[in-house]
Amino acid sequence: MSRNVVITGMGAVTPLGEDFPDSWNALIAGRDAASPLALFDTAGCRCHHAASAALPPLSDFSAKATRRLARASRLAIPAAREALASAGLLDAGGRSTLRDLTFSVATTAGGMTFGETFLRGVLARDRAHLLSQVSRYLPQQQILDVQQALGFAGHSVIIANACASGANAIGHAADLISTGAADCVLAGGFEALTELVFVGFDCLQATSTDRCRPFDLNRSGLLLGEAAAFLVLESGEHAQRRGAAPICQLTGYGHTTDFFHLTQPGPDGAALIEVMRAAATQAGIAPAQIGYLNAHGTATPANDGVEAKAHLAFFGDAIGSTRISSTKAAIGHTLGAAGAVEALFAIEALRTGRLPPQLNLETPIPEIAPALVGGKESSRGMEHVMSVNLGFGGSNAALVFSRDSSP
Amino acid sequence: MKLDLAVIGRGAVSPAGVGIDALLHREPTPVEVDAPGEPGRPWPVLRVDLNDPAFARWQREPRLRRASSMTFFLVEAAEQALAGVSPADRAETGLIVAFSAGCVGYSRRFFEDIVTRGQRSASPALFPETVFNSPVSHIASVLGLNGAAYALVGDETAWVAALRTASVWLRRGRVARVLVLGAEEFDPLVLDAYRSARWLRRQNPANGFLASEGAAGILVRTAVPEDAQIIATARDGLIYRTKKEASAAAERLLAECDPALPCYRSARRNWLGALEEKTTENRTVVPLGNQPYLGEAFTASAAWHTLRALACLDHQLPRILLPVWGLNHQLGLFELETPKTQSDP
Repeated sequence: MSRNVVITGMGAVTPLGEDFPDSWNALIAGRDAASPLALFDTAGCRCHHAASAALPPLSDFSAKATRRLARASRLAIPAAREALASAGLLDAGGRSTLRDLTFSVATTAGGMTFGETFLRGVLARDRAHLLSQVSRYLPQQQILDVQQALGFAGHSVIIANACASGANAIGHAADLISTGAADCVLAGGFEALTELVFVGFDCLQATSTDRCRPFDLNRSGLLLGEAAAFLVLESGEHAQRRGAAPICQLTGYGHTTDFFHLTQPGPDGAALIEVMRAAATQAGIAPAQIGYLNAHGTATPANDGVEAKAHLAFFGDAIGSTRISSTKAAIGHTLGAAGAVEALFAIEALRTGRLPPQLNLETPIPEIAPALVGGKESSRGMEHVMSVNLGFGGSNAALVFSRDSSP
Repeated sequence: MKLDLAVIGRGAVSPAGVGIDALLHREPTPVEVDAPGEPGRPWPVLRVDLNDPAFARWQREPRLRRASSMTFFLVEAAEQALAGVSPADRAETGLIVAFSAGCVGYSRRFFEDIVTRGQRSASPALFPETVFNSPVSHIASVLGLNGAAYALVGDETAWVAALRTASVWLRRGRVARVLVLGAEEFDPLVLDAYRSARWLRRQNPANGFLASEGAAGILVRTAVPEDAQIIATARDGLIYRTKKEASAAAERLLAECDPALPCYRSARRNWLGALEEKTTENRTVVPLGNQPYLGEAFTASAAWHTLRALACLDHQLPRILLPVWGLNHQLGLFELETPKTQSDP
């Protein structure tokens, strides 16, 4: 059994905006969100900046209830609400009209800030509030926060495949729908900046002390960010039955594991090439038909060189006519949310024909220089776009979105 | 959801020892461990013996030189479950691992260094091992599983999500078979966490569980008529925040199932035990014989219970309900069966 999968709603909170339209407009305008990090002390780190998000107000939560939420939930709830609203699945009270709604979610750190506070409390022998800290740091608590805030229950799955997780969560949602295991799925990812993760990347010397420059020969590392982004995916029949207008279709999903190293991709990019081919094959398209690729492009020396090679191998002679950018230069690397936010950007490029520029580019990697998106580019008439992500542990994932062709 | 998963391989590592036989029959011995926040008042804990000879070959693997103890539990359980699967077939085998706390030992060590010695002392060797999917990556690499791989997170019901995901991958044709594992590792810090949550009890210890660790897994493929042990259906998604909501969810979960089906009781020494007893009081209870208590290890426990319940299937018990009680998100349930054609003479 294989049913077509359509996207009918999108929502996001990013460092560029408190909702998806604001984020997209700032992205297209060429803004980047790097700023000095004020969420925690970074005195002992090499890097002191990140892309942090302004938390949207939660008008239906009391001040006390809001304080009890993890920062990750403060990002995830409004993003999920926006996605349901744009799909026409919110009632007048701001609750999901589908009480039984499958939820496919990605994160890497969940509510880790609570875990950090818990450990500090234990080490200081300060037993006050330990329960509230420990009971709310695990990722399922943020899932529960979203479910309860928006009034739905149902099967949920939390995928923690590092930086590919967001793409996995969306691809898994499509698998659930296409096999008939679900009719409608809220899918995406969330990630809040936390000290443990920030210091982790910093001690690996993976963060840049300069600007984040994906696919630049002088790139020096990534910019960490935080975000939440969700899509509503449903079967074409389900959308049609309720009169929802598809934004596009999800036509291809590939995922695989790269054995090479825990934190670095194999030098030949074989796993990424394979995963892009798998997604394109499922979509029934040739690489040349992909109008825009939202690349992983972390701006680390190890990632971007391998990724550029893989894109050249995948697109071949079509590399010059394909448009590629990494939006991490603008919003930072949002880890578990990255695959979801970047999928939304790819979809919006397909929908509007406007292409996110490759920011901070001065000396492009020659192999893919012709493909990198310049300022104010547009490409009307694209039929297919792709988003790819790579993660720690060798997780690779690729998604293909196509213009809706259903009657 | 209908799963129709045939169990064609199994493996286990538990405080009772390495292997299925130990899981079913051997009584583990608790050890005493101090909680960092309350030194001098130790708690009984069930630990896996990493000196067991079964782990020696994994400790020699270069890829695993920095791996967490949980990775060793997982790789051993995985290898047991994959016994007889050729290298070529392994390439068509998906891998799903369900975690609760993940690599808590490395996470605690890494952040404790930051807190006590400063951010400049953070270890680049430790950080990558704190990531949820690092054990998945290690297993895939060491055992040659380079297909689809997911790390899933949640309470015990992440095990249910893992088996649902396996079923979807098989239906989608992404892989020919799926290795599904659950794992948990012990770190003294969890004693402070469990104590805060009132999951451990000094007064009336029978109402508090023993912290435990280990892993277990099953190799599954789409069931065909000759298969002997089948995970037929899964139900989950009944969420709760309060005990009252959990009680309502449990009633609803079991009300959806055939009242004639016998039920395996899995919740022991936690508040869900009383709930399980109440909601299953009108059902036949699967006799567990002398299966020893293995403590609480979340998704690993869910996997252990699945293996134990599968071992109870026979011609007198051809169908069993197996509740999977999540301790802090939701409740789930499997229906296990052995086709009558297998057991009838």
